[in-house]
Amino acid sequence: MCAANLDQLSASQIAAGVAAGDFTAVEVARAALDAVEQRDGEVQAFLQVSADLAIAAAEATDAARAAGRPLGPLAGVPVAFKDNMNLVGTRTTCASRMLEGYESPYTATCVQRLLDAGATPVGKTNMDEFAFGSSTESSAFHPTYNPWDTTRVPGGSSGGSAAAVAAGEVTVALGSDTGGSIRQPASLCGVVGMKPTYGAVSRYGVVAFGSSLDQVGPFGRRVEDVALAMNALVAAGRDPYDSTSQDCPVDFLEHLEDPVEGRTVGVVPQLLEAEGLSREERTAIQQATVALEAQGARVVEVELPNIASAIAAYYVIAPCEAFSNLARFDGVRYGYQEPGCSTLAEQTSLSRAHGFGEEAKRRQMLGAYLLSSGVYDKYYYPAQQVRTLITADYVRAYEKCDVILLPATPRTAFRFGEISDPTEMYASDMFTISNNIAGNGGISVPMGVGAESGLPVSVQLQGPAFKDRSLLTFARAIERSCSAEGVVAPAFAGKGGELQ
Amino acid sequence: MKKLAEVLRDWEAVIGLEVHTELTTLETKMFCNCRLSHDDEPNTNVCPVCLGMPGALPVPNKKAIESIVMAGLATNCEIQRHSMFYRKHYFYPDMAKNFQTTQGPVAFCMHGHLDLEVSGAGAAERPDGTGVEKAGDGSYVAPVRILRIHMEEDAAKMVHVGGEEGRITAATESLIDYNRCGTPLIELVTEPDLRTPEEARLFMEKLRETFLTLGISDCSLESGSMRCDGNVSLRRRGETRLGTKTEMKNINSFKSLHDALEYEICRQAEVLEEGGIVYQETRHWEPSRRRTVVMRVKETADDYRLFPDPDLAPFDLTDEFIEHCRERIPELPDAKRERYMADYGLKKKDAAQLAGDPKVAAFFEEALSGVGEKVVGTLANVMVNLVPSFPGLTVEQVRGISGLLAEDAVTFAQAREVLEAVSQSSEDPVAYVDAHGMRQSTDEGALGAIVDEVLGRCTDQVQQYRDGNKKVLGFLVGQCMKAAKGSGNPKAFNKMLAERLGA
Repeated sequence: MCAANLDQLSASQIAAGVAAGDFTAVEVARAALDAVEQRDGEVQAFLQVSADLAIAAAEATDAARAAGRPLGPLAGVPVAFKDNMNLVGTRTTCASRMLEGYESPYTATCVQRLLDAGATPVGKTNMDEFAFGSSTESSAFHPTYNPWDTTRVPGGSSGGSAAAVAAGEVTVALGSDTGGSIRQPASLCGVVGMKPTYGAVSRYGVVAFGSSLDQVGPFGRRVEDVALAMNALVAAGRDPYDSTSQDCPVDFLEHLEDPVEGRTVGVVPQLLEAEGLSREERTAIQQATVALEAQGARVVEVELPNIASAIAAYYVIAPCEAFSNLARFDGVRYGYQEPGCSTLAEQTSLSRAHGFGEEAKRRQMLGAYLLSSGVYDKYYYPAQQVRTLITADYVRAYEKCDVILLPATPRTAFRFGEISDPTEMYASDMFTISNNIAGNGGISVPMGVGAESGLPVSVQLQGPAFKDRSLLTFARAIERSCSAEGVVAPAFAGKGGELQ
Repeated sequence: MKKLAEVLRDWEAVIGLEVHTELTTLETKMFCNCRLSHDDEPNTNVCPVCLGMPGALPVPNKKAIESIVMAGLATNCEIQRHSMFYRKHYFYPDMAKNFQTTQGPVAFCMHGHLDLEVSGAGAAERPDGTGVEKAGDGSYVAPVRILRIHMEEDAAKMVHVGGEEGRITAATESLIDYNRCGTPLIELVTEPDLRTPEEARLFMEKLRETFLTLGISDCSLESGSMRCDGNVSLRRRGETRLGTKTEMKNINSFKSLHDALEYEICRQAEVLEEGGIVYQETRHWEPSRRRTVVMRVKETADDYRLFPDPDLAPFDLTDEFIEHCRERIPELPDAKRERYMADYGLKKKDAAQLAGDPKVAAFFEEALSGVGEKVVGTLANVMVNLVPSFPGLTVEQVRGISGLLAEDAVTFAQAREVLEAVSQSSEDPVAYVDAHGMRQSTDEGALGAIVDEVLGRCTDQVQQYRDGNKKVLGFLVGQCMKAAKGSGNPKAFNKMLAERLGA
């Protein structure tokens, strides 16, 4: 293979190249680190670059090849992890002062599985603090800039992972999605981002936000790269360390190129009329519909009658779980500890007051209030009832269709500081949240750039629980006809990262 | 203060218990694979899960669920097919996550009951005509309802250094040992059905015997693997409304439970009779000073913000699982006691003592195997009166000494002496008795000669006996024993002397 830029290669091309000896995993790792060096100053996708780990992993891959051992499907593929995922040898800060400098003594299952598949860990990516946000602006350390327009946010909360992939710094990145935190930034950064069905991917070692909603998933510049990463995440079966994880015995690559002819796509008219949905995003839905129909898919209208209540239910359930999950950060055992305190109560409250940022405090206080006696019955219980209704809505809808096509986000990337009202920020997830509520899978698929904004637009596909393979098949169908696959944000394409 | 008996004539004590039992016989903790052992070097049996490290998740210990279902079945509870874990929040470093994983409104086991058989002196604590029917000997049966048994995890052990009374407030240093954190714990809550300290004590004892027999815990009150909080309120006899209750902590023996409740009942009666108010508060039992003191006053209910644990899927227990648990339940102490009484003719008290501790019962039954019918009663007697003093005995030794006793080859006092000597080894008591010439003859011919010799020379005493001083027989037995150099059986001498002198 002649000289190429790493950002032009798919994950499977990299793995095949390493396996064939076209280039070594160390060469790939160095190219990736070079790309990060050249590009991340402007993007600031990373909180930490783990160069030593990357080289060591790549050397191990090369040594395995030299010894004639079989290589994993992600051999040498440069990957990045959202900074709420534990990886021994790196810090796990959740972009919070509370965990500044914290090093986990163990590695998350999802991270380990990518490493086991041969991936090269390039670093940990920026995020909204503890994943609370839709713009990565609430990171305690620095913002991340959208590679398509650095005056704009990359979305969030997995903004760093989305931006790192969009800027071509890594081939694949992992994010976590509690209300849209993979699909929304993927949409704003013009990459593919998948939230699998709840339970498909282990949450063990991923710092919890909303335990009943959180799900880990991959970003890539190609549907195929996302499918490859999904295989690595689920191939070893359910994780005995996560009692909510389930076996997901599916080969996501196997049916990727299957035709969608004769299969059914649902659209929800009421969602396309939603206030705040931009013309560009609406146009993208029309284009995707046309493309799928052109490939023989049938488009039907379906209803999700209770979906309007999803955000309200979410902002009850998620803060309650967040309050509970973040209670452990008390400055006693690890993380930020307020100096000079004379009592335990003082140390706990001041460590929390000064360790957490505003949004983290807002959500925890909200949760503490919602769970308090007398209030619980008025909010938490009805929110769970709404959850049951929305889940049932989806079940009924999927009796009529294989997947649902809908927007991923109401509008393209916004400017820093443009949204300051928290509830307006929460509306960024209006199309993604209901899927977390129901526990189903969803994927954000790029549709090129908007004619007016010049920014990435996208569509979202949602599917029934544990039918994530269909999502990838349909996403691939859209990719085939609508988006130039493997696109790197133009300002960064080819900047460093030459692979000799 | 008035005495308990006097107080309980005028006042009815309403007592409920909360009993925490660590499932010490399991190998691992409730939600992780850490070894269950509190005695190791502090903070060595820990992992990201029980330390509440970021990203860690709980995985329930299925064997612990088996244990609690067995506990529920053994206490006549309804096993709930559908239940779940909840999170109970409070900020304190003994729980690394700052919430305890416990159960909500529906526990694995609900609505059970145990019947207490109250007899002996303790039965008198309950005045006649207060809702139970008393038998001629004053004994009665008190039914006690169990509200629930739920599953939870234990907290870490904290040691506060400096300051007063080992409390955190004034401590200069607080040390935490997370080895205990995450230990599977079952909490049993009774309905307020107990009416006397004796009933409370008996309930705890019965519960301990039951759990020991199930093999789910070592049930040690001293080490804290079984802990009991008692709450009590008083009301005038005839009143139906409940009074204000206080809760007693730091109860680490059956006696403490009884005495703390007794003290508290008398204290409350004094307060009330003087026109005072009983405050709802937690009180600490001080065994050395035999009194309870206020730990903290509860002005408002704590808000634990209980909600279903989203990391743990709800449990759906199948009939098969429950049957599997039922099959694992061994013969329980009550049934065992009845069997011992029926099969071996044991007295109720003796049978209960042997049946109450599964180790003792197993030892007893093993020792019984192969012994003749005539020895059974003696062996049971040995088990009840001798074995507890000699923990190292083997079944063979118990069998041996019981045989010797049954054939009057040794006296009870000698048997004690023999066991003292052999309990540290595996030496056969029969061989020991023979080697030390302790075997007592019951041979009428050999002993008869001695008896005749003694009667011949102790004419004064014989005369006194004939004059009606029967006590002198003891002196004559002693003379015979002396003449036989200890090798004659005193019972045999007694019988022969009485025959020759009497009638």
